[in-house]
Parts: sequence; C-alpha cells; structure tokens
Amino acid sequence: MSESTGVPAARPYSGAVGGRPQPASLADVLERVLDKGIIIAGDIRVNLLDIELLTIKIRLLVVSVDKAQEMGIDWWRNDPMLTSQENDLAEENRALRERVRALESGGGPATEDEGRGRAHDEAGADDERRPSRADGGGR
Amino acid sequence: MSTSARYVYAISRGLRPGPLEVRGIHGAEVEVVRHLDLDAVVSDVDLAEFGEEPLRENLEQLSWLEDVVRDHDRVVQAVAQVGPTAPLRLATVFLDDDGMRARLFEWRFALEQVLDRVTGRHEWSVKVVLPPAPAPAGVGPGAATHAGDAQAAAGGADYLRRKKESLAGRVAAEERGAELGRAVHQALAGRAAASRLLPPQDPRLSGHTGTMVHNGAYLVADDEHEAFVERLRELTAQHPDVVVDVGGPWPPYSFAMLEQR
Repeated sequence: MSESTGVPAARPYSGAVGGRPQPASLADVLERVLDKGIIIAGDIRVNLLDIELLTIKIRLLVVSVDKAQEMGIDWWRNDPMLTSQENDLAEENRALRERVRALESGGGPATEDEGRGRAHDEAGADDERRPSRADGGGR
Repeated sequence: MSTSARYVYAISRGLRPGPLEVRGIHGAEVEVVRHLDLDAVVSDVDLAEFGEEPLRENLEQLSWLEDVVRDHDRVVQAVAQVGPTAPLRLATVFLDDDGMRARLFEWRFALEQVLDRVTGRHEWSVKVVLPPAPAPAGVGPGAATHAGDAQAAAGGADYLRRKKESLAGRVAAEERGAELGRAVHQALAGRAAASRLLPPQDPRLSGHTGTMVHNGAYLVADDEHEAFVERLRELTAQHPDVVVDVGGPWPPYSFAMLEQR
C-alpha cells in the first residue's frame, strides 16, 4: 500500500468512538464475512443459498428464543445447529435460579428433590466464578 | 481423487509469492499463487471436510462455521494489511491450482476492476445504538414479573394509561432513532468513496442493548480515514445519548463485487 500513512499498522479495532477495543463478536464476523465477497464458482459447488438460509435460520432462531421460552417452547434446544455452549448456559442459568430460590427460602424443601444433585455439584471448586457468570448470562 | 483441495481466501496484487506468515483454516499454511497480474491467497483444505457433501453439512454447524469464518477473516485481514484485497466468498474451493488459474483467467478483467476500486481504501463499519428508554414502573419488558403487583397496587386503568404512554414514548424514540440514523449516514457517506446500508444486527448475536438505528459500511480512502473518524467524533459529541460503534479499517468485504455476473 503506497498510501498507508493514514492507516495504522496495528490490527483493526472495533468499539465505541474513543472507547476500548473489543474482540469481534460472532455477529460482527458473520455479518462481515458470510454474505460478502466475490462469487466466482469454484470446483466445489456449494449452494450459496444454503449459507444465506443458514444466517436467516440463525437470526430467526436466535431472535425467537425469548419468545419461545415465554411460551414454554424449547424445541430449539435440541437443534444441533445451536452450540452446546448455549445449551449449557441456559442449563446453568436454570440451575442458578433454582439455587437462588432455595437460598432465599432458607433452603426450603421445595427444591430438595431436584436440587440436591445440582447443589452438590455447584458447591464444588468452581463455586466462586459462577455468581459473576450469572450476572452476564442470567436475565 | 486427491484428498486435498485449494481454498482461495482473496485475490490481491503485488504480493510477494510464497508463504504468508498468517495461518489459514485450521492452522494451514497460507501461500500466494500468482497468475497473470493477480495474486491468489490460498491454502490446502481436506476434501473430506470441504467436498460438496461434507461442506453442505458443515455449513449447518454453527461452531464449524464460526471457526472457518474467523480463519477466513484472519487471512483476508492479513492480506489487506499488505496489498489491495478482493475477498472471495467463503468456501471458494478448487480441486487444484490449474482449476483456480482457469477461473482467474476467466474473471481477470472484472477482478482487476475490483482491485482498482479498493486500492488505497478500506472498509469502516458504523453502528448507532439507541439505549433502551427507562420504562415507567409496572410496564416494559423488564417489569413483566411485577406487572401483577403493579396492577393490584395502582388499579387497571392507571396501569393501562401508563402502558399507553410508554408505547407512545417508544414510537417517538424509534422515529428519532431513524432520523438520527439517516443523518449519520448522510454525513458519513459524504466522506466515503462508497457506502452501503446493512440491516440492523440481532441483539442476541451482537450483545447490544437498545435499538440499532443505523448499521452502515463505508469504503474510505486511507488518507481520508482520519477526517472520517473526526466527523464521526463530532456526530457522537452531538448525540451523547446514543452509542456509536465504529469498526475498521477492514478489508473491503462489502465493496468487493464483480461488475458482470
């Protein structure tokens, strides 16, 4: 690049103006890359529509998660397309909510049946980092 | 049938032929293959993964897709640091270099045009997010669990009145947001060689709270980019209540399109 004086050699950044740089979110990378770029057909014919359908599917699925939960629908949990991380988080949130309820009620008998196994698990070594994760993930 | 194929990330010009320092898909070595005046940036991929059938299945796996998208992006960004860059669509795969060369020959003029257009320019992304208006007590999505209490305490009519007010406020905020988005776009497009409006991002994917009222991509000349960012700062100062998110300089993903199809 002959005119590169204006562009810092440092890696590209993203963030609020004057704010701190942040790693690119999945949304940013997908948006930047997925439906973009020059199309010259390779030897491997991938149906580009598949990719576009996929992004739409992601958007539809993801946008409707809250709504679906409200209505008690959770079929998307079993969709292999959604990462296991997301399932884990939802599972973890539920476990934490149960635990909070149990703590608030002074460890009442309501959660005893279901809660025993989990409470035991969560009293383990990684107990300390869980509350902070609940702040980020639990709503 | 060979088990490996050639994945092409981007086309550039004036690169040094041979291996690049950046790593490609699944850590593969990335190299520059010159044909005519064009430099193709390529690496080996496994046909067991990128063949027609497996590729179709893999594209449906979000975690696989994310890895490949990030690897692809990393290589394209590295190329954009050293030369004009025309990113190719994700998963452009040839069985061998001969197949790739034939295709480059076929598209050489259009590719040259794209490279001319993006030389000395990079892409910037600007998003404007309107934070959620503070909801009056008893209404709004965050208060759903208290709705029953509020209703019991304040009475149904009062609750409905506040809910209506909240709705009116939301509509006004949306109108204001749309207006702000247009103003930002107009101001920035004037500083850019080209611009594109993109659909607002899904908050569940991007993690933002509030309403994304503007999502634009701008192709900005490298010697203009400080003026561009300065303009953005002015706009941000004028609207302290919104969050302006800027990204760049990036490879011109949104502006790499062939003129003829």
